[in-house]
Formats: sequence, C-alpha cells, structure tokens
Amino acid sequence: MKRTLAFLLAFVMVAMALVGCNPKTGDGTESGDETENNNPGGQLQITEFDPSKKYTYNTSASTLPSGWNPHTYQTADDAVYFDYTTDSLYTLFYNEPNHPKEGVEDYNGYVIVPSMAADYPVDVTESVKKSHPQFNIPESATNGYAWSVKLRDDLKWNDGTPITAQDFVDSFERVLRAPLMNYRAPDYYTGSYVVVNAKNYGLAGYYDYDDNGAAETPVTLDQMEKDENGQYTYKGMPVFIGSGYALAWTGGDTLKDLYDYYLENAGIEMFDKAALDKLLEATDGHGTAICNDENLDLLKKIITFNPNWNETEAEVINYLLIANHQYDENYSFDNVGLYVSGDNELTFVYPNALDGFYLMTYGMTTQYLVKTDLYDKNLKEGTSAAGTVWTSTYGTSMDTSVSYGPYVMTEYQNGKLMHFSKNENWWGWTSDIYTYVDPEDNKTYRMYQTTDVDIQYVKEPATNKQMFLNGQLMTYSLQSEDFDQYRTSDYYFTTPAETIFFLLFNGYEKVINERENAADFDKNTKDLQTQMLESFKRACAVAIDRDRMAATVSPQRTGGYAFLGQTYIYDPETCAYYRDTDQAKQALVDFYSINLADYDNDLDKAVDAITGYDPETAKVKFQEAYQEALAKEYITDADNDGKSDQVVTMVYAMSGEVSDFYKKTFDFLNTSLNDAAKGTGFEGKINIEPSAPLGNGWSDAIRDGQYDTQLAGWSGATLDPFSMADTWTDSARSYWGNWWKAETIDLTIKIDGKDITMSVRDWALCLNGTMTTVDGTDYNFGYGQTSVENRLTILAEIEKVMLTSYNCVPIMQDGSGYLLSQKAFYVVKEYTPMMGRGGMQYMKYNFSDDEWTEYVSSQGGTLSY
Amino acid sequence: MIKYVLQRILYMFMVFMIITLMCFVLIRMLPPAVLPPDDPHTFQILRRREALGYNEPYLVQFWLFLKNIVTKWDWGVSEKLFFGQNVWDIFVGKLPATMIVNLYSIIWSIPVGIGLGVWAALKKNTWIDYFLSTATMVVISVPSFVYAFLVQYLFCFKLHWFPFLMAGGTNYFSWEMLVSIIPPVLSLSFGVIAGFTRTTRAELTEVLTSEFMLLARTKGLTRAQATVRHALRNCFVVIVPGIFGEFIGILGGSLIIEGIFAVPGVGRLTLDAINGLDYNIFMLSTCFYTAIGLAASLVVDVSYGFIDPRIRMGSKK
Repeated sequence: MKRTLAFLLAFVMVAMALVGCNPKTGDGTESGDETENNNPGGQLQITEFDPSKKYTYNTSASTLPSGWNPHTYQTADDAVYFDYTTDSLYTLFYNEPNHPKEGVEDYNGYVIVPSMAADYPVDVTESVKKSHPQFNIPESATNGYAWSVKLRDDLKWNDGTPITAQDFVDSFERVLRAPLMNYRAPDYYTGSYVVVNAKNYGLAGYYDYDDNGAAETPVTLDQMEKDENGQYTYKGMPVFIGSGYALAWTGGDTLKDLYDYYLENAGIEMFDKAALDKLLEATDGHGTAICNDENLDLLKKIITFNPNWNETEAEVINYLLIANHQYDENYSFDNVGLYVSGDNELTFVYPNALDGFYLMTYGMTTQYLVKTDLYDKNLKEGTSAAGTVWTSTYGTSMDTSVSYGPYVMTEYQNGKLMHFSKNENWWGWTSDIYTYVDPEDNKTYRMYQTTDVDIQYVKEPATNKQMFLNGQLMTYSLQSEDFDQYRTSDYYFTTPAETIFFLLFNGYEKVINERENAADFDKNTKDLQTQMLESFKRACAVAIDRDRMAATVSPQRTGGYAFLGQTYIYDPETCAYYRDTDQAKQALVDFYSINLADYDNDLDKAVDAITGYDPETAKVKFQEAYQEALAKEYITDADNDGKSDQVVTMVYAMSGEVSDFYKKTFDFLNTSLNDAAKGTGFEGKINIEPSAPLGNGWSDAIRDGQYDTQLAGWSGATLDPFSMADTWTDSARSYWGNWWKAETIDLTIKIDGKDITMSVRDWALCLNGTMTTVDGTDYNFGYGQTSVENRLTILAEIEKVMLTSYNCVPIMQDGSGYLLSQKAFYVVKEYTPMMGRGGMQYMKYNFSDDEWTEYVSSQGGTLSY
Repeated sequence: MIKYVLQRILYMFMVFMIITLMCFVLIRMLPPAVLPPDDPHTFQILRRREALGYNEPYLVQFWLFLKNIVTKWDWGVSEKLFFGQNVWDIFVGKLPATMIVNLYSIIWSIPVGIGLGVWAALKKNTWIDYFLSTATMVVISVPSFVYAFLVQYLFCFKLHWFPFLMAGGTNYFSWEMLVSIIPPVLSLSFGVIAGFTRTTRAELTEVLTSEFMLLARTKGLTRAQATVRHALRNCFVVIVPGIFGEFIGILGGSLIIEGIFAVPGVGRLTLDAINGLDYNIFMLSTCFYTAIGLAASLVVDVSYGFIDPRIRMGSKK
C-alpha cells in the first residue's frame, strides 16, 4: 500500500512539475491554450486554440455602418460589415508552407486560394462560344473569355440553408435590375472587369450619350434634324438637354447645382429660376429633358439670364447630350454572362480575355451575393414627387441581415454598437484551407483565433486613446500630438499609403500676369512671377528637408522623393513592387544627379542615399533665380542692396480653415525656403501665405492659376502604377494642364533596342493600351501587349520627365501610425500592400478575454505603451 | 383660460408650419456634394435624386411631404444615413436614449440646484454664499461638452468608476445602464445646477427680505417654516418656467454630449442629418425640436397661473 501511495505521489509530483514547467510563449500565450489535433478530415496536424476561451477583438468606429445591403451601400464605413460576414470565390493568403509559392520566400508575397470555389477556374471559351452565341465571343478567341467555377458543396448561410450557384445568378440579376437604381450596379458593368452584357441589362431602357459640350467639335443645331414629335435628332439618334445631368465640362455639376452654388456662395442668381424650374419639371429620371424648341427656349433663357455667365443663345449646344445607343428596355437577363452551367457550377463570360490574378480577384467578385428570399421581402415600392422609387431595408438590422463568412452579427444597436460572433455554419472553421504555419514555432494553426468582434461607436480620439490605454480597445490611431511619445513603442505600427503629396508650383503665366496687374495688387512689395522660373522651383525643391518636414508637420507620414510611392505593385502575379525595379531606381538616381560610382555602382545604396535636401545647391539656385528675375523685370532692386524689393509670394489654396497642420506646414516651408535663401537676393523675401477657404473649389483654382500652391496628390490604384502616367499627362485632370502640355514634349525611349520617339502624352496613352502610330508603325504597350520590362522602362522615363518638369516636387509619402494592444500580436509584422499585416486571419492573442481583464487590473487599470 | 390656450395652440401651429417650411426649403437649398463626373456611381445618384423628386419645385415637394404625414403619418425614408429605412422608426428608436439622459439630468439637477440656491440665500454674505456664487458663475460660463471631457478623463479613465460609454441595449433601468448614464448626466447637470442655484439664490434673497416674511416670522413661524411655506413658493414663479427652459437647453446641449458618450439618441442624429443632407431625418428632428420648444413655452405660460393665482391668462383686465 505504501509503495502504491509513494508511486501515486511520485506520479502526481512529476505531473505537477510538468505542468509547472509548462512554458509561456514569448508573447505570453500559455501553450495550454492550444491542443494538437490530427484533424481527422484533413492532412494537417493542426494546433487548435482552446475552444472554451473567448478572444474578442474590441474596436471602435466614429461612424458605424447604418446599412450593409451589398447592392446599395455607399461608404467604406458600411463596408465594414462585409469584412466579417462574407466570403469570396477566391481569396489571398500569405505564401507560407501550407500555401507555398514557388520562388518567393515565405510570408513575402501572397497566393490566390479557392475559398467558396471548390477549385481554380476552368477555361471554357471554346465550348461557350459554340453553345451561347448571345455572348458574342470573338470567333478568333480561343481562351480567356469564359470560365467555369465549381462551388464547394458545403456553402451555407448562417441559418444553415445551403448557398447554391443559382443564388449567385439571382443576386446578380437583382443588383443590375434597372428600376432598382442600385448604387453598386455600375461596379458590375463599368471598368475592365465586367461580365458580358451586364450593362445592357443594368441600363435597360436608357441611352448612352455623347456629351456635346465636351466634344472637340460640338454638333450644332443646324446639323440636327427634327423628328415627328419635334425632338431634335442627330444621325437618327435623339438629342437631349442635360438639364439634370452631370456634364463633364462643368466638372460634374448639374444646372441646378450651379444655380445653387452661385446663389449660396456669391448671392448671385446666375440663371433664370422660373425657366430652370420649368426645365427641371420636364427632366426625367435620366437627368435629361427632350431637346425640342420649347425646352431649348427655356435653356436659352436660363443661360443668357445673367451676363456674368457669359454665354449666348448659340451656346445651348454645350448642354446637349446626343444619344449614341439605346439599351433595350426588355433586355433579357439570359443574355448576361453569368449563368448556372452544371451541378453547383457557375460560368462567367467576359467581353475581353481575363486570366490569373485579375480574373480571380476582380473578374469573379461576388460581393453582390444576397439571400434572395429575404432580399425580396425587404424591397419596397414607394412614391415621390417625381413618381416611383424603390428602396430596400435588406441589411439594415439583425432581422434583415445574413452572413456567409466567418462571423455573424449577434448584436446591433443603430449608431451604437455591433457585435459579431463565430458563424458556426461557415465551412472554413473546419477546413484545412484556412490554416497557416506560424513562422515563430512552425506549427500549423487555424486562421481567425478571434472568436468575437466588438465594434463600439466612439467619436472622440481622446476617448479612443483613454479606452485603449485602459485595455478596452485593441488599436489606437495616433494623433499628431502622440507621435513623440509612442513612435518608439514596441506596439507602434505604420502603414504607408499610395498618395505622394507634392508641393505644386504655378506656371500659368497669363493668369499670373493678370493677377499682378490687378488693381489691388501691390507690385512694389509683392511678386508672383518669379515662382515660374525653373531655377526658383529647383531651389525650392532642394531647400526642403522632406523627412524633417514629415516628422514636424505630419509624423505619420514620411519623406517622399518620387512621383510613385512605395506601395505600387506592377505585377500582381508575383507581388513585385515598382519602386524595387532597376528602372524606377535609375529614374531617381538620374533626377537627383547621384553619381553611381560614389556608391559602388549599387543602385540600392544610391537610392537609399537620396534625401532631396541640398541647401548649398538651393542657395546657388536662388541666386540664379534672383538674377533671372531681375533680368526679366519680375522684381526690382531700387536701392542696389543686392536684395529683391519684392517678396516672392505663393498663395496656398486652402480647402478649409487654417488648421494646426497647415500652420506647421507654412512655418516649415517658409523657414526652410528663407533659410536656404540667406545670403542671396531673396533673403527673407519668400512667403507662402494661405488663401481664404475655397472648399472643393481649390483644385480648380490651382488649375486656373488663381492660386499658386498646395500639398496635393493622387492616391492611384495599388496594382496599376501605369495608369498614373495617364493622370499626370492628361491636361484635363492634372493640376498643370493649362501651362504644361505633355502633348508638346517629345520623349525618346529605347524599346527592344530601337529608339522610339513620341510625345509624353502618347507614351502614357500607349502604356495604357491605346494604339499609337509612329513612322508608320503601330505601337501598343498596354497590359499583355509587350514585356513587363518594357512597360517599366516607359513608366520610369515618364516619371523622370514629370520630376524634371518641376510642375511640383514630391514632398511626403502618405501613411498612418497606430498602436496595437498588448492583448494580441501579428504573426507577420511587416506591412505589404495587398496583405496588410494579414488582418484578422493572422492575428494571435497573448491573452483571452478573462486573462486580459485580470492582466489590465494587475497593471492598475491603465497600461503603458 | 381655455380660450387663451386654444388661441396659443393656433398660433403655435402657425409658427410651427412657418418654421417647418423654412427648414424644408433651406436644407434643400444647401448644395449637394459635388459628384465626380468620371465616377460611374454619379449616374445612379442623379437617377435616384430625380426619381425622389428632388428636382421638382420646393413647394411641390413640401406639399407631398405634408400630405404623406397627414394622411399616412409617413415621414419618408432616409436616403443617406440609414438608406431605405423609415425615418419615423429610426427617430422613435433613438428618442428614449435622449429623453432618459435628459430626464435624469433634470431630475437630479432641480433639487440640487434649488437646494444650493436656498443654502446660498440663507447664508447670504457669508463665505458659503460667496463660494457658491463664484462657483456658479464659473460653471455657467463653461459649455457642457468641456465637462464631458473632464468627467470622462477623471471618473472613467483615471478613477475607473464609470464606463466610458453608455451601455448598449434598451433596458434603460438596469443597473449597468444607470451606472453608465452617470457621466453624461453629470456633464449635462453642471450647468443646469448652476443655473438653478443662481436663480433660486437671487429670487430667495429678495423674497427673504420682504415685509410679509417679517410678518410670517412675527406670527410665530420658524425660519424654516417661513422659508418653505412662503418664500420658496414665491420664488417658484421664476423657477418653474426655468425648468422647462432648461429642459430645452439640455436637449440642445446633448447634441454634443451624445456623441462623446455614445448615447444613441436623436441629438447626434440631427447633427448627422445636417452634415449628410439627409432631408427626411433632418425634417423630422426639426419638427420634433420645434414642437417641443413651442409646447414648452405654452406650458411655461400656463404654469404661471397655477403657481401664482394672481396671474390671469388671457384676461384683458
């Protein structure tokens, strides 16, 4: 007996010792939270998290979603709901041992993995071409136009009812249905990734128009005819008045917008109100009125009412829309290229060939998926002053919402909170697919350790911060005043954004001269013309220490040196960054006049050395600019003291009131420029001053040369850096289109060993798929039309031209900074544009909810970061 | 009296209609957000605006607005903030939170404010009076949202006494809810308490020096009896109307407080409706605030007659 007891005692002690030795991970996670599971259904040995513990991701929002109908939602705030409750045919995972990618180091890229799809898509172009002639697949096409996808057979809504292929098709029909006027409908029939004939169904009964006012040679009334009803026609197609239409030449304003704008902002009645009201009465749901003599007379009255509008009756043609196509009112959805092609199988048909990344991510998006019985139940027909209007309450409450993703909404209070818990009917919870190998311990885990997501409405950043420090929120977006304290924290993360902020320069000579000659401008003390000199702009460019400026005025941002920032991916198949290419690096080395030999001919080292800051050169250039300005009589030096009598003034176009950010910006810029100008003719003679608030009109004011500068930028598409070249060189969109025309600047680039010369504008268009003819040879350098290397070379050359044009200088790379709670950590800390830091899939926890409460309490209720 | 009340109600209705029409037209005159011409969604938005009748003459729209309310009690659907949802349902769903916070604030502030005012009056020209009078002036001068930040920082962040935000759900009488309501109620109350303290002190100080108070004391009433039975009652002619005034004031003040403490009420809704140009929500909120304001002024006027029998409503003599 004694021996038995002794044995038992020894066993208990050994067991206790083993438990006592049970180590904590470096992050504090007790390994006891995890159990290894052979996963009977799969191949992997998965380490499971303790199912009895709750891991809640507590977050906040200053605007909570108020509706998440995938057909009508309008804002990113509303889209938050989809992050947790939806799935997709294909999804992106990090490349790692469970989802490897050849040639790419683990966790440095991503792979596309079938999610709701059972497998990768199958090209069925040849068979669909024969079986479905209504899709008009070109006879010559052999692949890329039609793809079939088999769906998983275990897809379910959160209530357990199955999701079938027919649900996708029925949902697609509803999002496009013309009378519903769904906000999201155009997502599926405009752009590069559309399903064939979706537009015909989505716009059934509507016209496509040519905006006469935006045409190079507008059609005149004399060129039109009248039909039997008195409506004007052109080449057999009806003509309309764009009375409620967003006309391109007005910058998207309708006549009523313009009337309201002038009345509101200037107290001017720009149009004849009675005539406008009458014309608007005749305006239909398309925003157009029939173009007949009666309506034309009204339009003439409207635009000639106020002489300030400066238009004659003949200019009514600027408001005309000439139909070029009418969509069949009874167009059948059977002709739309999405249909059920077999047992739980969908077939997508496209008007152009798609493949690979773009096919599976953009071409096969299924964001429109709705539970159709619930959707129809919540669709209501109503009346308005203009007739019938449809609204839907689908996706506005718990009762009207569904989930087919990892979480389901379990609590919702309008404008107050949202709570999501695990959707037990989501197939991913028990699948090997949603797993990954943790690079720290090489064990396989399920994605989504988070069991619950709690979103609270928190308006004030101060409240956010206090709640974060008290352990009630998982992240805190740092405010400007926080960076000094937290930027060195272990829990601090930065996220770069696409936008590069440029400091713009005004080069519109005609307008600058007009402004200088205005009666209220004092030419004896101020000068606007010098800013047009290249030497002056170059001096400014090298007088600004970009990194220091970012740290001073906007610490979440960093210095910017190029037209395209760090986040652009030129090849989504390989996740390759434009800025990492030799072409892009060489462009910067050339522009900043870096001698490669000084850096062992190593492009990386040379680029790393670029600061863009060179006060000595700035001084030389300022003095050069001073001499030039004197010679051109932009400035004077009456007392011969070697200093300008005038202050070179640049008026900063403000959108709103002068905020703390702007105050710091003005201080920094003025100090930097004047410091660099010390000892030159412009010492103490440079001033950037704010304008009155211009609202959204600031960009037009810059384009028109009425104001001189701004820190402006374009965000662009992460996966398409090439499209930015189009934006920079398009006079209608760029800030400098009135004084710098890319069409007039020739650029020679060596492509495949041959020098080709065309205008910068043509290069940009050609790079984006427009056929251009040079010396009798047709060129197209669009996607898939030439090698990626050639495209990169062209983009880098255009970027270099833009940099050397000095229409603006890159100053800051946009970004944001935040703190992550000690409760959790990222499996991958490095940020990548497509994967971020892995999102909730790859987030792991140091503490469960109960442990966290205890831990925070043990720290006195307030944590330090 | 009845004739007077009916007359006032008629005037109220006229004023209400004028305010409603003005707001209806003014909110629609605000320029809508500029729509980017290259964005394909612009076309959908314009189609919808047209279908909703926003391009029709204002009076036509106003007529339909009134007709739907009168015939169907239909205030329309939200087009921006709560797309497609019935604005009446949204508003009614959010009203209790606002009312509860305001009512708690008033209920707590009246006795405390009056009590402090009485104390200051009774201790006239002592350090207590000086302290309360000075504190009152300071507190009144500071807007309520400043207290909100102070209360949140001190009681929620530093001392951990209360949660940062109002509790979720609609059980407004649960313990959790009551505790979570304390910070917004406190923030709203400071100014109200100070207001009542100042009014009560001023009125009571004057009444306490009246000759009838001397008479009351000479009749043998104790100081407390004389103060409660005679002095305070006289003060109420001024204080009671102030209660209604404060209620309206608090409703206005809670527009910001609701945001800070995540109170899911109508105050925040109104601000969001103006910023988002959600016409129907704005109109319902406006009508609500207008109606409350007008009704309160009527109640105040009528209450004079009850508090002080010497005041006769509608009498031309």
